[in-house]
Amino acid sequence: MKTQSFWEATTPQRPDYPTLEGNLQVDVAIIGGGITGITAAHQLARAGKRVAVLEARRVGGGTTGWSTGNLYVPVGPYFHNIASTRSQEVANTVAQARFSALNFIEEHTRKYSIDCHFARRPWYFFTQEEDMTSLVEKEAEALQQAGMPAEFVTQVPGLRYESVKRAVHMDGQARIHPLRYVLGLAGGVTQLGGQIYEHTTVLDLKEEEDHCLLRTTQGTVTCQQMIIATHIPIGIHTVQTVAAPYRSYVVAMRLKSGAYPDAYYWHNDKTHHAITTHSTDSMELDMLMIAGNHHKTGQASHQEYQHYFDELESYARQHFDVASVEFRWSAQHYRSGDGVPYIGLTHKGAKRTYIATGFYADGLVYGTVAGIQLADTIAGEGSAWLEAFDATRGTNLSTVGEFIKENTNVAAQYLKDIPAGQVSHFDDIGLGEGKTIEVDSEKLAVYRDAQSQLHICSAVCTHMKCIVNWNNAEKTWDCPCHGSRFMIDGSVIEGPAILNLERKSIDPTTGHLLHTGGKTSGEREINNPIT
Amino acid sequence: MNLIYTAIGFFALAALLGMYLLTFVLRGKETPKAIVFSHGPLAVLGVVLLIIYIARGGPNPWESLVLFVLAALGGLYMVSRDLTGRPIPKALAVGHGLLAVGGFVLLLVFAFGN
Ligand SMILES: Cc1cc2nc3c(=O)[nH]c(=O)nc-3n(C[C@H](O)[C@H](O)[C@H](O)COP(=O)(O)OP(=O)(O)OC[C@H]3O[C@@H](n4cnc5c(N)ncnc54)[C@H](O)[C@@H]3O)c2cc1C
Ligand code: FES
Repeated sequence: MKTQSFWEATTPQRPDYPTLEGNLQVDVAIIGGGITGITAAHQLARAGKRVAVLEARRVGGGTTGWSTGNLYVPVGPYFHNIASTRSQEVANTVAQARFSALNFIEEHTRKYSIDCHFARRPWYFFTQEEDMTSLVEKEAEALQQAGMPAEFVTQVPGLRYESVKRAVHMDGQARIHPLRYVLGLAGGVTQLGGQIYEHTTVLDLKEEEDHCLLRTTQGTVTCQQMIIATHIPIGIHTVQTVAAPYRSYVVAMRLKSGAYPDAYYWHNDKTHHAITTHSTDSMELDMLMIAGNHHKTGQASHQEYQHYFDELESYARQHFDVASVEFRWSAQHYRSGDGVPYIGLTHKGAKRTYIATGFYADGLVYGTVAGIQLADTIAGEGSAWLEAFDATRGTNLSTVGEFIKENTNVAAQYLKDIPAGQVSHFDDIGLGEGKTIEVDSEKLAVYRDAQSQLHICSAVCTHMKCIVNWNNAEKTWDCPCHGSRFMIDGSVIEGPAILNLERKSIDPTTGHLLHTGGKTSGEREINNPIT
Repeated sequence: MNLIYTAIGFFALAALLGMYLLTFVLRGKETPKAIVFSHGPLAVLGVVLLIIYIARGGPNPWESLVLFVLAALGGLYMVSRDLTGRPIPKALAVGHGLLAVGGFVLLLVFAFGN
């Protein structure tokens, strides 16, 4: 089954925004039209700033349109961990910021009458395993300390799970159709005079003494401030040593009974499963979604990525009366070293460049927090959240272990780039399969399509030169170092890479690389702005 | 003297990998990163042993150390260019190698000269 996001498939009218033509001068340029970029643009336009969003593909078409549409105060890395890696005060600020962001989303769905199925509902966190009960308890206490109405319950309504050992409930969380919401808010941006450009990729960015300069595929943009709202900053950035890329999986199903529980659940046993329900085209619930199975991008422990979807499906069949599987998709999240996102000026010396990343899979709410915080900072209104999310904080003593773990992992990926000698195994690549092989001392990413035609690119990631790996569920090339992903023709999908993988050609008779007359891979200048 | 012999061992291994890497740079190919990240640390181990030997006092091959440190700086610069997507100047790669060879020869003369 082809992967497709439920949200993409259930968004009826998608406005087309123009492509940038020529040069542009604005107060603030925002790179990326996901929930972060669009929220920031909305708030800046409201504050009277001239603002332009530059989106490489379609508004909401990044992770925002491939998420699971839940809005909640709790966080994946848990508040009790944040209290220990940072402080209880930081945990409280994070909880307050998320609470405000949730309210912001509700207000704006009303303000612009966005048909995005916003509805309040409870959140449940439970376990069936004795040795996981203390985790549930610690998290409930941390939420309570942060002023959130978390309470222990003995039942988990809506589910038929037996012998629940410990459960927590919190009212006032919500569900939403994230793509429709972002498109609706984007409508608000243009109403307020903001500009949005689609199919406009930013290729280079530079902070100068008194302005910023962005070069796009279409023209240049000069501005006073810029926000890199690309989920992970594009180009090379120190935050990439502390924000690690993970993929997770979602399966959406219809139920025979039609009894869709109206809540958001975290089932924490040895593995974590998130259970949610949504509606296709009205407020009536008609879709069950199970999400989970994280692994580092490009480093699946199962060669067959299908395994991750199958596991979620069998979990669902074990607990629900599944009638049919309708959609399957996966998406990326970036984990921060201490469990708190990095939102703010990009480095200590920066005056005009802002970033927002490290959201875990909690970023519809965090993206909204980031949009509000960055706009308030740029508009000079100040923000009470600034210090908690400071993007320049790096690592500290309690997170140094995590820092070493993630960076050793990256180093290990480089050490896999061993010269294999003169081998060409084009014949070993089956229909619909991708493999990295070495020809003429160059690593190639080769895909054979259903018509047996080969699609060949350099396998060297254009970010920082790790070797990409084949993802056979999505038919993409995924970089195991910082999570850049590329299509079979080499074009960038997401991640910090800006340039596409280099296209390569092979002489079919000799099996050797054809020289196209340009520079060879090792001599190609890759534009990688250090942001 | 055992320290010097061990350092010579590390430098010899680093030199073999370095020559192999040079063939990639001169042909304009991407360098295999497993070799890059083995070559550098091996050479660094050699330099560390050399520094320990010199720090103990007495006659020492300090000229060799100077050449190795210069070569190491060039190596670091080349790695940073490589990983950030800027081509490695071929002359710099050759110069780095010549400095290291110079340091290695001086070290051999010091160890086995008499
Ligand atoms: C499986 C999964 C489920 C999730 N479910 C939830 C959930 O239920 N609730 C929740 O709160 N969070 C959830 N998240 C997290 C959330 O979806 C993301 O954190 C959030 O959408 C990130 O938004 P963003 O705007 O920062 O990034 P994105 O939505 O990824 O937007 C970034 C945009 O930048 C653009 N871009 C990239 N490079 C360039 C360039 N060079 N030039 C111009 N534009 C560029 C991209 O095209 C993209 O549109 C989930 C995440 C995953 C992986
Ligand atoms: S994403 Fe950084 S090397 Fe590929």
